[in-house]
Amino acid sequence: MTEVRDRVLGAVRDALLRAELPHSACERPFYVVPPEAATAGDLVGQFTRAMVALAGEVHHANSLATISDAIASISSGYGAASYLSWNEDAIGCAGLVDALTSRGLRRVSYDLPFDQPGRHERVRALAEVGIGVTGAEAALIDSGAVVLASGPGRGRLASLLPPVHIVLVKQDRMFASLSALLAARPDLVAGGSNLVVIAGPSRTADIEMTLTHGVHGPKHVHVILIP
Amino acid sequence: MSESTSDGPATQSHGASATPPGPTAPSHSASPHSHAAAAHSHADAHIAGVAFHTRIDTALGDGKLRQALSMATGRLAAGRASAFAALPDADALRDAAQRIRAHTIAHLDRYLVEFTTNAERLGCRIHWAETAADAARAVVEIAQASGVSLAVKSKSMLTEEIELNGALESAGIRVVETDLGEFVVQLAGDRPSHIIVPIVHRRREYVAALFREKLGATADEVATIAAMTAFARKTLRDQFVNAGMGISGVNLAVADTGSLCLVTNEGNGRLTTTLPRVHVALLGLERIVPTSADLGVILQLLARSATGQAMPVYTNLLTGPRRRASGSDGRGEPDGPDQLHIVIVDNGRTRLLGSELAEILYCVRCGACLNICPVFRHIGGHAYGGVYPGPVGSVVMPGLEGLGRWSELPQASSLCGACRDVCPIRIDIPHLLLRLRAQAVRESLAPAWLRLGMRVFAAVATRPAIYRYLGNLVGRLGAAIARDGWLTRLPGPLAAWTTSRDFPAPAAKSFTQSWRPKRRADRTHT
Repeated sequence: MTEVRDRVLGAVRDALLRAELPHSACERPFYVVPPEAATAGDLVGQFTRAMVALAGEVHHANSLATISDAIASISSGYGAASYLSWNEDAIGCAGLVDALTSRGLRRVSYDLPFDQPGRHERVRALAEVGIGVTGAEAALIDSGAVVLASGPGRGRLASLLPPVHIVLVKQDRMFASLSALLAARPDLVAGGSNLVVIAGPSRTADIEMTLTHGVHGPKHVHVILIP
Repeated sequence: MSESTSDGPATQSHGASATPPGPTAPSHSASPHSHAAAAHSHADAHIAGVAFHTRIDTALGDGKLRQALSMATGRLAAGRASAFAALPDADALRDAAQRIRAHTIAHLDRYLVEFTTNAERLGCRIHWAETAADAARAVVEIAQASGVSLAVKSKSMLTEEIELNGALESAGIRVVETDLGEFVVQLAGDRPSHIIVPIVHRRREYVAALFREKLGATADEVATIAAMTAFARKTLRDQFVNAGMGISGVNLAVADTGSLCLVTNEGNGRLTTTLPRVHVALLGLERIVPTSADLGVILQLLARSATGQAMPVYTNLLTGPRRRASGSDGRGEPDGPDQLHIVIVDNGRTRLLGSELAEILYCVRCGACLNICPVFRHIGGHAYGGVYPGPVGSVVMPGLEGLGRWSELPQASSLCGACRDVCPIRIDIPHLLLRLRAQAVRESLAPAWLRLGMRVFAAVATRPAIYRYLGNLVGRLGAAIARDGWLTRLPGPLAAWTTSRDFPAPAAKSFTQSWRPKRRADRTHT
């Protein structure tokens, strides 16, 4: 394998001696995020408009009780009685599981086993759960997207398998764009095995360019904004 | 892992009629549906051996294709235009994207080493492949080592380039395309015709007939596009749950973090890289950026250029396989793949890098140049004959494989420059096409009449007296046969030019005839 590696890298170096590469004699920084963009104006309003344009829904809540009520009300709208979720501390909402239990919602906790047969069984069972609940590291006002980082207690499947994804976002985590976020928080990318930016419900337009939601990921995305 | 523990239940969990393609699926039966039957003749239209001009004629003669192309490319191009209009920083971002890609390619060896070092430190396994066959073999060996019998795949043009599905199926491994468009392409035994919208050449009735025929869908399940989409979700969920391996491409790799970035709208890319225990990512060796901040810049442009979206629905950054419990808290991540393999593919890219076409390696495959190209908008992707169609493909295919069978592609352009104007990286595609045309003449690949014609033209144009004499002669002859200012039929071999268009009659006086007296007059005045 190292022989092939050395041959390919050798071929690259060899080619670079002859390559004609316009605009390659340039120095960092290649781009500076405009500073005014991240702070100006009504961030929540801009985010909300972008999110709604993607067919997402935005809710507001400011306490454990109102957050739990919002989740319970959204869930009952879809006839769901159970949910996949991140851990409470990862969502940043202590007491959430108990509060949801008292509202008739059952949490399905999961850790995928590493061995293969058990893994299939577990995933098959999870595929029946109707709601996914997560927190978010950031929200992006230019696109209405939310940014989720994986880690202990913060799985990927809660925002992926169920047909409905409910995401709790703190209002002070608004960024102008993904560029602005990655420039401000370079640590985010390597913090876990997965950083995902989610801009609304899953969609496709593969057949006759006709927009259809929920092809593989969630068909509905609800953001609950928390002060 | 033993053979029996991997993906066994997959094929038993649903009836044979609903089994997606692969070696175990029922073979293509004679189709009672005219739409589905049409698939095969179309699929044949791009195979090697069919002349380029024949493929173009086939495409131009297909009214439905032209209608679908016109609608889809028009909408995508308009979406791109309005997305850029709404981006205040667009020019600065495009300049930055161009610098990022140019800088990366100019230091590609360094960034490849940095990327692979970081990815390996995170637990990724790196495989290097010099050719398409090497790359496909690497994936087959990874599957065999893990006892995989079913793999799911998210859309990747690189896997088309290395003909991975065939290699897996020859080794007895079923592979299921999960992007809706690619799923349809696979069911039909077709090939994608657009790098972003694979079935831009298909209508809903075609997909409905295909789902009924190949998957046993009911009339209700194909009644609407929404119903067909829901049916595909259900069918493919089974495959995701049972697959032992997920295969994806990579939009861009990040050198300083060892991350892979994959964007999709459907979410199949996330499922492919999360549910199966093994994830194999195929990376073209030029698709790297130095840092995550650089990635951010290009991601601000990628979806806007491709579909007019500010961001794709899912921008998925993968940094190593699932993290196992470590340290004092003893908690690992709850999901994600246990193994992450990265196959780095050359397959002609170092050849391209060393050529006068190296700039095309800056490309991030957004597809904007396809949607804007007047030629692509009329003939569609299949007529180009290669994996990568459109303006970018007309440079990439000859660049990767040599002009040989692709010598006509650089002619499939009017050099109008629209592709350069929309390119988020500002790649000068028309210039690269001109270089290829010149190369075709140098390598005697251009048609004999063209080479002879160019030699005669060069001889005449460098001898002013002969040029003026012949110019006047042609002008007078042209004026003599013109009708109402137009030449509707040129004589001899030139007649081919006028079969589908008219040639304007030459002006009464040539430029030199008008210019000389004016210049004399100017001189006398001063």
